[in-house]
Amino acid sequence: MPKFLIWTAALAALIALPHGLSFSQQEILVFLTINVLLVASYRLLTLTGEWSLGHVVIMGVGAYSSALLTKKLGVYVPVSMLLGGVIAALIAVLLSFPLFRMKGFYFLIGSFAAGEIIRLLWKRFRDPFGGAKGIKGIDPMPDFSAGFYQFDFFEPASYYYFAGAVVAVCLWILWRIEKSPVGLTFHAVHWQDKLAQASGVNVRAYRTLAFAIASGFAGISGALLAHYVGTINPNAFDIDLMVYVLTWAIVGGTATFYGPILGCVVLTVINEIVLRELGLEQMRPLIYGAIMILSILFLPNGLESIVQKFTQRRAAGGAPERRPAE
Amino acid sequence: MISKIVKSGLTRRTFLKSTAVTALSAGLPGASRAAGSTIRIGFLAPLTGAVAAWGKPGLDGCQIWAERVNAAGGIKLGDGSHEIEFVSYDNEYDPAKARTGATKLIREDGVSFIMMLGGDTWPGVQPVADKTGMLFSTLLPSDLSPDTSTLIAPAEVHPIYNVTGVEWLAENKPELKTAVMCAQDDALGLPSVATYLAAFEAAGIEMLDAPLLFDPATTDFAPVVTRLISKDPDIVCLDTCYSDYVHPIAEQLFQQGFKGQIISCTADFYDQMIAKTSEEFMEGFVFQFPDFDDPALNGSNINFTDPNGFYAEYNRRHPGQWGAVSWEYASIMDLWKAAAEKAGSASPDAVAAAMKDGKGKHAFGDADWWGTELFGIDNALVGDWPVVAIEQGKARIKDFRSIPDWYAKHGDLLVKHMQAYDQMWDQRS
Repeated sequence: MPKFLIWTAALAALIALPHGLSFSQQEILVFLTINVLLVASYRLLTLTGEWSLGHVVIMGVGAYSSALLTKKLGVYVPVSMLLGGVIAALIAVLLSFPLFRMKGFYFLIGSFAAGEIIRLLWKRFRDPFGGAKGIKGIDPMPDFSAGFYQFDFFEPASYYYFAGAVVAVCLWILWRIEKSPVGLTFHAVHWQDKLAQASGVNVRAYRTLAFAIASGFAGISGALLAHYVGTINPNAFDIDLMVYVLTWAIVGGTATFYGPILGCVVLTVINEIVLRELGLEQMRPLIYGAIMILSILFLPNGLESIVQKFTQRRAAGGAPERRPAE
Repeated sequence: MISKIVKSGLTRRTFLKSTAVTALSAGLPGASRAAGSTIRIGFLAPLTGAVAAWGKPGLDGCQIWAERVNAAGGIKLGDGSHEIEFVSYDNEYDPAKARTGATKLIREDGVSFIMMLGGDTWPGVQPVADKTGMLFSTLLPSDLSPDTSTLIAPAEVHPIYNVTGVEWLAENKPELKTAVMCAQDDALGLPSVATYLAAFEAAGIEMLDAPLLFDPATTDFAPVVTRLISKDPDIVCLDTCYSDYVHPIAEQLFQQGFKGQIISCTADFYDQMIAKTSEEFMEGFVFQFPDFDDPALNGSNINFTDPNGFYAEYNRRHPGQWGAVSWEYASIMDLWKAAAEKAGSASPDAVAAAMKDGKGKHAFGDADWWGTELFGIDNALVGDWPVVAIEQGKARIKDFRSIPDWYAKHGDLLVKHMQAYDQMWDQRS
């Protein structure tokens, strides 16, 4: 029952959230919601022990696919978003053939190279990808009325509700996957790969599965971005954004489902709201870097370790400790 | 307020109304426009990151401009005098952040006009401009199209003015017969490549190779330069490379022994380039952006207010940071101020109408609103542009050349090359 109340209160807070924010903060909230899905999907890949530098490009595959499906074929936007995720997953399956011949550091570098090849293809083929300028005038999500609420997707609050619902469903699916036997096998592939192999687990197939699922959800996050901003270009999915994703994951921690999400939320709020409001706009890269270094030095297990300490202490405090004298 | 807006459907009128009310409720001075109140101007450009060199110096120039105008009594509108204040937002050259910044500047800060660098960031802002009717300016007229009725390019008709440098070179150094070119493969580099190709063709200078397009992530320019000069060209053209590329390319040209002519759109912080190479190597380097202490800018044709004083003050506050955009945003403000005073109002519609009524007071002389053929809309201010060369370590204006005159003679070549690179307004996806 208390768990149900906590979830209900959290949901109510998330619904009320945009109305307590300024217009520009609502905009940031939209991008934050999309990035939450991006970083959560990235964590699924890391469960198998592989860290990719191509995840943001895969996000771009979803964005480009969805944009082109609506622009060239007139596909209905929500359907194109879903197809964007499917295409991103399929591209990941294709990439897995060369990439999963490598492991660890080699996979990391290989994924970066694969991502760069995709980005160069977007630049090289102006038709249909728009070349260096990318694609603009991407169809927005069509407005509609849900009776109690008029969804005008130019308004950040409306898009936040839409993206929030999509991201919530995606996070629930990711959570269920992680807690399923498949998710446990992902962990086994990471921590006990020889043993898993000896037990009949096809390690490469599971790595491919994790890569494809993570890429599919990254693709959906890209599609959500494309149909909100209305424009995409190859530079929007370059290594700079990938560094941010890595930073969110490292600062938040990857041991728990919520770790990278926590990292994404905290660092985005600091970077986009706190530092700008403090008038330190041009100092942000410097301060952001310092925060990352300090968090690695003093919080090697990420922000999630603070939450874990707090929740463990509360759990211990809930049941009074027995003393020998008693 | 939001539910009210969404119920009625967001139009320009309801949007601006809601913005004004929101700004007033937040106690922002720019919203009420009472006599004596401050008028806020938005500055939405990259202030950090790789493209910051084309944002930050512009903001610094605008601060000086505002202080000078405010000290002289501010801007005189129908309801009295107003001071000017700049509100900046660092868009990091990212369309999503540019959209957020435009929303903040319009709906929270109550600005009357927004200046942008443009390029990759404009498509993210365009829906906001369409909804609100806010007047925006860009330094990159390749952002213009028939759909961008509230976007103007009043300072820089990039990259069309690059033709003047090539034309001057052909007339003054006729012995130069062959050229090669490199550029970063992006929205800034490609239209410039098309322009230089047209200019070289018009000048009868032979291109020895197709333009070498490198990835914007390139950091090692040794192989780029080796390939460039392998055909022994008379001219190496650096297109519109960012200063992060111009400097290492020039350094490589020096190290690899190139002795010919260099032409470039910009040569920001050229003193550092001289320090890395030599004064002899940089002698005669041709580009398009003067220092404002140049005596040639004291002519009666120049509309920029006190260019020499502006340059001195800029260098006193920001030594060694003068660049191509240091004066450009400020020159746009000169134009905006004149139009607002003519209209007697700072409202975007009134200023835009006054601005386009007759000839425009461009920094380098009176100019015409132009661009239907190339951009699909007459929202670019085009007239004369200076050709600058480095002489004994100092940039000097060699001549002012007319862009419309060149276009009247060779416009078909420009259109041909723009089409080949898919850069005409109707080819942009």
